[in-house]
Amino acid sequence: MNLRLHIWRQSGPQDAGMLKTYDVANVSEHMSFLEMLDVLNEDLIAKGEVPVAFDHDCREGICGTCGMVINGRPHGPLARTTACQLHMRTFKDGDEIYIEPWRARAFPVIRDLVVDRGSFDRIIQKGGFVSVNTGNAQDGNTLPIPKTDADRAMDAAACIGCGACVAACPNASAMLFTAAKIGHLGSVPQGQAERSTRAMNMVLQMDAEGFGACTNHYECEAACPKGISADFIAQMNKDYVASVFAGRD
Amino acid sequence: MRAFGEIWESNVFQKWLMAISGLLLVGFLLGHLSGNLLVFMGPDAINEYAHGLRTMLHGTAIWIVRFGLLGTFVLHITSAMKLSRRNREARPSRYNTVEHRASTLASRSMLYSGLLLLTYAVYHLAHFTWGVVHSEFYPKASPTGPESNGAEYIPDVYSMVVSSFQVHAISVAYVLAMIMVGLHLNHAIASAFQTLGVRNQRFVPVIRMVGPLLGILVAAGFSSVPLAILAGIVK
Repeated sequence: MNLRLHIWRQSGPQDAGMLKTYDVANVSEHMSFLEMLDVLNEDLIAKGEVPVAFDHDCREGICGTCGMVINGRPHGPLARTTACQLHMRTFKDGDEIYIEPWRARAFPVIRDLVVDRGSFDRIIQKGGFVSVNTGNAQDGNTLPIPKTDADRAMDAAACIGCGACVAACPNASAMLFTAAKIGHLGSVPQGQAERSTRAMNMVLQMDAEGFGACTNHYECEAACPKGISADFIAQMNKDYVASVFAGRD
Repeated sequence: MRAFGEIWESNVFQKWLMAISGLLLVGFLLGHLSGNLLVFMGPDAINEYAHGLRTMLHGTAIWIVRFGLLGTFVLHITSAMKLSRRNREARPSRYNTVEHRASTLASRSMLYSGLLLLTYAVYHLAHFTWGVVHSEFYPKASPTGPESNGAEYIPDVYSMVVSSFQVHAISVAYVLAMIMVGLHLNHAIASAFQTLGVRNQRFVPVIRMVGPLLGILVAAGFSSVPLAILAGIVK
């Protein structure tokens, strides 16, 4: 199939950037979206032009590295699908496709479709972990965890930190990401010791990074390639206010 | 320990303030609505009710409620302004194309429906409470009525309401504002519960129903008064 792509080109963080139009011919329906961009880049290199920069790593939908807004939707039109797992059979011959980077103040564009998601790392550094003493691991059965709690923790832990929630949110809020991390550790006994300070510190870091606030549109949940529920945001709101009253920070 | 000021300014805390003040305002709306519906029980019912409100606790009750309401409005509006400014700043560059998957017209227009409601509320107070617009309808309802030779003076709120709403423009503006209230509540109520953390898969279907239902109830309830007056059912 033949496609017309409108891709955001931006040579660096200071550049204003603009959409540029490219035609790609003979795209196979079996290609992934990223492979289609690879083909375009081979063409551009052959012509002596600068290839389109985009993030990618595992190409298996599990690492959270790739991400671009495709026709106004983070990771493209399919639900629970990362850009690398989106295949060209979803499109048809003659389609025009708009490809843009995640847009948020806290995700500055480095080049073309590549953004700096260091803000997510700094949120994690504020409490997205459990402190444990080193030594022998204790016997697994000494810590009873109800199945529902384990499942809930796993649902939240499915977050790959890709940033689609921020990209989809009309307010560029990172609440689904932060809530998933807080909800993951808060659902299991190992996470209880630091639960209060974790919620406080991660939420305030999220504010400091310049993410917006949630206005409950639930665009994040719809865009999340891992289908993480906005229930976790409600839990985070509760944990945060509980930590305000607990005063352990 | 972090200072109270830092917590107060945080997004989640501001959202809590907005949710709690919003729910209090919904409570006020429901109380206001129950009073308005007394119109259907005739002039004496609503006039005595209005008089009762003004004289309750030697006239202090109404001021306690007014100051409480003012405070609630201020909290609701300041948190809305703060958060929407931060939300705008969080995305300095716009997308070329955006396709909405989950948000609704109501959820995306909260700021605008809120601002329109604020404007309408000021006009509404100027009309029915201060008597500075449409003042021709006000004198009979004024709490400082004519000298009444010692007898207890009960202002005639009923005839002010009826004669006001017989003016088509006033009724139309009122009904439009109430539709706006309904739109605002449609998103607001479910949103407030989410913000306060009252949400799991047991409550989601209930909460998603309560918001729109209450929105329709409030919009229809308030609108019924001018519509009944225009239809000549109440005169």
